[in-house]
Amino acid sequence: MTLESVVFAILGVVAVSGGVVTVFARDVSRMAMGLGAFLVAVAGFFVYWGATFLGVVQLFVYIGGVLVLMIFAIMLVHRSPDGSPLLETRHDVAALAVAGGLFFLVVASLLDVVPDSVDQGIASGPAELNEAFLGPMLTHFEMGGVLLLAVLVAVVVILGGDER
Amino acid sequence: MSLLVITVGLFSLGLYGVLTRRDLVAILASIEVMLGSATLLLVGLAAVGTPMGSHEGAVEATGVMVIVLAAAEAAVGLALVISVARRFKTTRVDELTEVKG
Repeated sequence: MTLESVVFAILGVVAVSGGVVTVFARDVSRMAMGLGAFLVAVAGFFVYWGATFLGVVQLFVYIGGVLVLMIFAIMLVHRSPDGSPLLETRHDVAALAVAGGLFFLVVASLLDVVPDSVDQGIASGPAELNEAFLGPMLTHFEMGGVLLLAVLVAVVVILGGDER
Repeated sequence: MSLLVITVGLFSLGLYGVLTRRDLVAILASIEVMLGSATLLLVGLAAVGTPMGSHEGAVEATGVMVIVLAAAEAAVGLALVISVARRFKTTRVDELTEVKG
C-alpha cells in the first residue's frame, strides 16, 4: 500500500463520514461540523490530485463563505430553549430506493469509462486557468460575474422585502 | 472504481438527505453534499486520465464555475430560508403548506 493510496483512503473516510453526519445528525451544530469535514475533505482531494488552486478556492469559498453563512442562518433560525433535538429525519424506504437505485445506475453506467485509479493528476495551474478563463471560457467567466451580481440583488430583495 | 463509488455514493447520500430531511437548513446542507460530490467527480475524472484531463485549465475553470454556482445557490437558498422563518416562524417543510406569498 503506497502513501498515495493511504492519503486517498483517509480523505475518502473523512468525506464519507462528514456526509453521513450531515445527512443523519439530529443536532444542527453537529450537522454544520459534518458539512465542514466533508468540504475540507473535498478540498483535500483537489490538492491530492494536483489542482491546488481549486483546493484553495474550495477552502475560501465553501469553508470561509458558505459554511459560515449556513452557521449564521442556523443561529438566526433555530432557537431551542428546551434543548430538544431540532432536526427531524423521516426515514423512508422509497427515498432509500431512489437514492440506492441512482447509485447503482450511475456506477454501473460509468464503470467501464472510469479507469482504475491511474492517477496522472492535473498538470494545469493558475496560468492555464487564467488562459482558459480569458480564452475559450470567457463567456462563462462573464456569465459568472453577472450571476453573482444578480444573486447579490436577489438576496437584498428577498431579505429586504419583509420590512417594506 | 473507488473514486466512482465514493463520489456517486456521496451524491446518493445527499439525495437521500434531501428526500428525508424535514428542515430547510438541513435540506440545503444535503444539497451542498450533492454539489460537492459532483465537483469531486468532475475534477477526479480529469485526474484519473479520462479524455477530460487533456484540456489544460478547462477542468479547473469548470470546477471554479461550479463552486461559484454553488456559492450563489447557497446565498439565495439561505436568504429564502431566513425569509420563510421570519414570515412563518418555522423552517419545517411539513408545516409550510401555503404557496401564497
